[in-house]
Amino acid sequence: MLCQVCGKNNATTHIKTVINGKVTEQNLCGYCAAKKGYSSFSGSSISGLLSSMLGNTVKTDASLYEKHCQNCGTSFANIAETGKVGCAECYKVFEDELYVYLKRIHGSVKHTGKTPGRKELVVAKTTDRISELKIKLTNLVAEEKYEEAAVVRDQIKKLEEEK
Amino acid sequence: MACWYKNNNGGIVISARIRLARNLSDMPFPRRMTPQMFIDLKERVSNAIKALPSDLALKFIEMNNVPETEINAMVERHVISPDFAKNYKDRAIALSADESVSIMIGEEDHIRIQVISEGASLDEAYDIANSIDTALNESLHFAFDDRLGYLTECPTNIGTGLRASLMLHLPVCESRGEINMVADAAGKIGLTVRGMYGEGSKSSASLYQISNQITLGISEKNAIENLKIIASQIEEREKQCRNTIEKINIEDTVFRSLGILKYARLLSTDEFMKHISMIKLGIDEGIIEGRNINPVELLISAQPYMLMKNCVAQTPGERDEARAKMIRELL
Ligand SMILES: [Zn+2]
Ligand SMILES: [Zn+2]
Repeated sequence: MLCQVCGKNNATTHIKTVINGKVTEQNLCGYCAAKKGYSSFSGSSISGLLSSMLGNTVKTDASLYEKHCQNCGTSFANIAETGKVGCAECYKVFEDELYVYLKRIHGSVKHTGKTPGRKELVVAKTTDRISELKIKLTNLVAEEKYEEAAVVRDQIKKLEEEK
Repeated sequence: MACWYKNNNGGIVISARIRLARNLSDMPFPRRMTPQMFIDLKERVSNAIKALPSDLALKFIEMNNVPETEINAMVERHVISPDFAKNYKDRAIALSADESVSIMIGEEDHIRIQVISEGASLDEAYDIANSIDTALNESLHFAFDDRLGYLTECPTNIGTGLRASLMLHLPVCESRGEINMVADAAGKIGLTVRGMYGEGSKSSASLYQISNQITLGISEKNAIENLKIIASQIEEREKQCRNTIEKINIEDTVFRSLGILKYARLLSTDEFMKHISMIKLGIDEGIIEGRNINPVELLISAQPYMLMKNCVAQTPGERDEARAKMIRELL
């Protein structure tokens, strides 16, 4: 799908806004989303951002109040309110609910770092390529070459989906 | 490794910090823990720490036994986080003699391993933190998921649980109003720029911390690499800005600050920080000789709780006097 604003880049960000009960949905590329202030990397207070994002979901879906983690008693409403998770088990219980937010915060939901108990990291080939592209993206953004950066960002996205 | 502020070698990049967030898999996160669980946690972590290589020589400290002044002074020295100082009851830390390694127990996560070093040595700091993590995991078995990585109380730390930071001295960028631009550029690639004492703190002495924000889907190595690239670009920008100023103008500003620090009888923290920042600029630019002055150490020693701890000064007025006296005697 192409970005609804520029019509050039692939849409990578799905934005849902609720104004007076009316739901508007938009699909934007990373560049246009960032321009509109929907940056997944909004710097200053990511945990504040998280609880506000989660909070919106809970308000629109009352059933989420009822789902609890058996291990620690945390409900999804608790997580939405505080932006904090109750225990390791919560990540399994609320996997689906948290997925979209993890994706929005980190831009990815696949751990590529250290694995406990393994001396050497086993890194797949695609991951190497992605890392390379991520550094390239860093440099392009630093040089304020946003159009080129958007292209690289889409390449990363594509590779991550292929994994 | 040595103490980051006592053995500071100068330059724009002041210190490098690595923090790893880890949790035991069979205990809820701190927010959900009972007092008894904190006791169990401390015991298990303290036993695991005893098994660490002896050259680390970490000392286990119960926070309930530490006076409040010292707790706040620990924040000023970056040994513990401001959040940990607020909720220190029943918590503990393990600390190396030079304070370059600290392990906070019961902060937002069960364990926060922190290594701080002088200058830009992120790799060296990471290697130490990484080996501590590996060793502790032998007995503690940290919560880990193949897809999501290390599990943390706040989803913003999930994955590597790594926060890597560099502290930079940016007086000229700051005076030109370029910090917001720097922060925006850093924000676009998942880095944040904060004041000296972390989230929400304003910068004093033109010190800024640049840290990674993204912890999932990026390896430790790449997160550190990205941070280094951006930090070196910011450092370069600060150098460029310094080069465009007429020498006489820098000299004038630096010597005015030197004059005030040499003769003032009362110095508030803010005023002191402003001028010591100029002294640092003067030394780094070769305008004044820094033979026996280490501005970074002075900047830490002049913080309110550090003064309360080391001098008899208790009231703000007494502290302003003690601060002025301390610097006057050195210059
Ligand atoms: Zn677009
Ligand atoms: Zn739970």
